[in-house]
Amino acid sequence: MQPVLVGAVAYTANVVPIWEGIRDYFRGSEVEMDFVLFSNYERQVESLLAGHIDLAWNTNLAYVRTVGRTNGECRVLAMRDSDLVFQTVFVARNGSDYKNLTDLKGSRVALGSRDSGQARILPQKFLADAGLADDDLQLVIFDSDVGKHGDTGRSELDALRAVLDDEADVAALGITTWNQLTQAGEVGVEAVWTSPEYCHCNFTALPTLDEARAERWVSHLLKMDWDNPEHRQILEMEGLKKWVRPELDVYASLFEAVKEQQIPDTW
Amino acid sequence: MIISDSDRARLAIRLVEAVNAAATGTTVLVPLHHPDEVDVVDQWCKRTDNSVLAIHDEAVEVYRGRLSDPSSSLPADRMPGSRLWMYTNFHCNLACDYCCVSSSPQTDPRSLSVDTVHRAVKEGIAAGVKELYLTGGEPFMHPDLAEIIVVCTAAAPTVMLTNGMLFRGSRLAVLDAMPRDNLVLQISLDSPTPDLHDLHRGVGSWQRAVDGITTARSMGFNVRLAATLAAGEPHQEAALNALCEQLDLRPEDTVVRRIAKQGVATRGVVISRGTVVPEVCLTSTGVYWHPVSATDPDMRVTTDIFPLEKAIDAIRSEFLDYRRKGDMLAAAFPCA
Ligand code: SF4
Repeated sequence: MQPVLVGAVAYTANVVPIWEGIRDYFRGSEVEMDFVLFSNYERQVESLLAGHIDLAWNTNLAYVRTVGRTNGECRVLAMRDSDLVFQTVFVARNGSDYKNLTDLKGSRVALGSRDSGQARILPQKFLADAGLADDDLQLVIFDSDVGKHGDTGRSELDALRAVLDDEADVAALGITTWNQLTQAGEVGVEAVWTSPEYCHCNFTALPTLDEARAERWVSHLLKMDWDNPEHRQILEMEGLKKWVRPELDVYASLFEAVKEQQIPDTW
Repeated sequence: MIISDSDRARLAIRLVEAVNAAATGTTVLVPLHHPDEVDVVDQWCKRTDNSVLAIHDEAVEVYRGRLSDPSSSLPADRMPGSRLWMYTNFHCNLACDYCCVSSSPQTDPRSLSVDTVHRAVKEGIAAGVKELYLTGGEPFMHPDLAEIIVVCTAAAPTVMLTNGMLFRGSRLAVLDAMPRDNLVLQISLDSPTPDLHDLHRGVGSWQRAVDGITTARSMGFNVRLAATLAAGEPHQEAALNALCEQLDLRPEDTVVRRIAKQGVATRGVVISRGTVVPEVCLTSTGVYWHPVSATDPDMRVTTDIFPLEKAIDAIRSEFLDYRRKGDMLAAAFPCA
């Protein structure tokens, strides 16, 4: 049987050992896999739609766009446990006195790349939901690493730098970036508002992928075990404890945001 | 200087940026703007499962991921700090042409006092030392050897290296008074016949060493043979085994060593801190990386013998550092 061909975006050098590790894990199983790396999510989604790959390891935005392009026909096979609980954190200098998003009226808000769910699209939705129109804020935008959908975290770091340099009052960061930064100790910046949880990445397939084949692949994926040192190495690098079945409801906020912000399905 | 919160934030940004871009198993240099920032990097690495590999003048080298335990490939009895070597003295009745510490009858004795041995053994055991090794020079030229042996054997299994040639008169009485338990005499014998041994160690020395072994065995001591070989010299294993049998020794009680390019030896294995697993070695002038290099200034770890634990820790951590870097290179430089 042909291996399942998975597409992933090479946003760090670690992507190679991660996918080689996953490929090796599937070796000898009922359905083996191989992978292809793309330089950006646009290229990956186009390749999925063209049938060049069977599965795309998609960001939330790449998934939403694939849904749009397939009229909702695409399927999600699996995600990381960590993908279910992603959040955005608005941070400001200590003592800034912001208690919630409405307090940001009139402030300079640093946001990340236009294709980053956590650093731009959802933060803008959260601000709008809090009743703040774009005119109520001075947005400071960092469109760094566009195409990677925020995976590199670069635009979030740029936004935080702007706060430190007093070019912005508040920055929107993904929770993982924020957690990483605070491991250095007291950084003089505090979380002023943390968003509800939303979904991040998933394995997206076209309806043409044979269901039995897909199911065999997924059930083997779900057997990766944190307590097995070899598996754990891969899981740690990819930032999860276990693979889980999808929970698509948790993408609702991003679907709404994409609609409200009129972000097109093609780019 | 205390690092301000915003400097710490900027450093955190540099760390996240640099480390996230690196592949697991590779290293990145994170620039430092102040030496005190090292502590922040260290803390961040510990909390994020990354590792500080080396500290340079204006940057820290961070390894992405956890380093494998660099000591895991060593058996416990070879872990630095499990053996403690002591040079009781440096003078010797012989002047072998390969002596790694240039001993001879004229050599300044530089003896360890009984008190020093006592304290070193006590502190060593407290720091995890499991075996004691006494060497020289020729330990039987130390006037207080009897007491030293009592101190050592009471504390841990002890091996004493000797040329076995001085077991006469009062020294024979000193030998006889030594405990048989917890003590092994390691006597040098380079070859099964006198030729090679006498070539390096002096005419007639082979026979006297063999006599010494016979004496020690007849007194009930555990004896081990040690052959030191130059590059290209054959280890005449079968003949040496046959001799062992004659001398009432087990063939497995033979140690074969190569000559090191140290002391008066002009040729031999080149020794350095980065290439030799350390065995903590105490002399009256300081603590050395390894007993084969106990007069080499580059191999002296400290002139402060005490507290011994500090010296042992220093050797251990320097060794683990070398190991890590070795592991690192191996991981990052696949040839095929
Ligand atoms: S090798 Fe041993 S016996 Fe020979 S001179 Fe050196 S200390 Fe003395």
